[in-house]
Amino acid sequence: MRSRYVVAFDASGVAGAALARGLGAPRVRALAHVGLAPGALWPSPFEANVRRPEEVKDALREVARALPLGDAGVCLVLPDGVARLVDLDVPADTSAAAFARYRMAPALPYPPEEAVIDVLPLGRGRVLAAAVRRSVLEGYEAAAAEAGLAQDRVDLAPLGALAALGRREPAGLLTVDLVLGDAAVSLAARAGGTVRVFRNRRRDRSAGEGRRLRAEAERTAALAGEAAAGCIRVVGAGALALVRELQAAGVPAEAGWRVQGEGVAAGGAELAWLGSAMA
Amino acid sequence: MSPPRDFSTRPRPGRFSRAQRALLLGGTAAFLLAAWTVGDDWGELRAARARLAQARAEAEAVRTRVRELQGRGGPEQTLARQAVLTADAAPPRVLAELAQLLPGDVRLEAVSLSYGEQVEVELRVAARHPGSFDLFLDRLQRSPAFAEALPGDEDRRGDMRATIRARYRASRS
Repeated sequence: MRSRYVVAFDASGVAGAALARGLGAPRVRALAHVGLAPGALWPSPFEANVRRPEEVKDALREVARALPLGDAGVCLVLPDGVARLVDLDVPADTSAAAFARYRMAPALPYPPEEAVIDVLPLGRGRVLAAAVRRSVLEGYEAAAAEAGLAQDRVDLAPLGALAALGRREPAGLLTVDLVLGDAAVSLAARAGGTVRVFRNRRRDRSAGEGRRLRAEAERTAALAGEAAAGCIRVVGAGALALVRELQAAGVPAEAGWRVQGEGVAAGGAELAWLGSAMA
Repeated sequence: MSPPRDFSTRPRPGRFSRAQRALLLGGTAAFLLAAWTVGDDWGELRAARARLAQARAEAEAVRTRVRELQGRGGPEQTLARQAVLTADAAPPRVLAELAQLLPGDVRLEAVSLSYGEQVEVELRVAARHPGSFDLFLDRLQRSPAFAEALPGDEDRRGDMRATIRARYRASRS
């Protein structure tokens, strides 16, 4: 059973949503966002992310009150930048999670037993494997528990977003999906019901980022065997500005999704973490 | 559908809320009760079907046996006929038919019924007046319940005594 409530962390703040699950598309019933001062939280795969726990816990409590969460189970969504992400072709008759651990363990910059690994199916025997250091996860979980949240599960924003975008893949086009976090960006080239190429980069939000992200999208399309993407879909922090910039440059780009609901600005395209509740 | 991803470091304390757990428990209890009730009903239905099948088998066996007996000649056929007559011409029924024919001063001193191919009736009759005996004999000969009524030995001195043989028509109706 999917959580009806999601609470997401990122460097810029803590956000949450209550979603009504029906037969059709999910609808946001309530949305809350509380900003964090710079440095209170910083996504990193190695070090403690919650650097000023009291500020983060206060923000969590405020979000919990605004939704309101009560004692409902919550899906905690961690930001892009906390995990090592690798796309893999899983041999037939092999456990995807076991194969991901086998492939990722030797390359991790910390002891493999400290890694919590799970996968997102990408179609046609491919998976996106993610490894998160246990101590990093525990920092988020402790903040949520001490703020009074009932943890249901933990997901990663880029995996949730790619899962949601995978349900709306345009037919007959090579599509490059950009999932923008505060600290990192994920790019996926998909066609024919599978993700052919996945890439993950730290984000540089200085001047000229739009041009750099466009170049990254073009490289991703090239790695997938196409000269250019037929469509670029963008979700996450700064998505609308990037879409406008790409469209102005003649690049076929659009917001990754449009979510209906109370207080949802621009169809929720700036909220990549909503994917964890939609997929 | 693959299970949702979960990077939790600890097992979940509880996947369901209190209300969901109560609903789950209630649903499980209702399911078990329904299953038990259905099982009980099925048991009764099976027992009733078994009883019906047994009764049908017994009835069929009797029918088969009667057909076999009727199909054979000699004593066995007679036995079958006797079995039918015993049911159709039970002694109380024959006596009741005779009683309807008796005048007021005539009484039956002895009645003998012989079940064979037919039901043979032998009567020893006592009458205060010979005319009353003649009246009884006349009624017996006219009665649709009896045939071949034949008077036997008679003693018309004083109170009249006589014997009569007749055949009871068992399968009139």
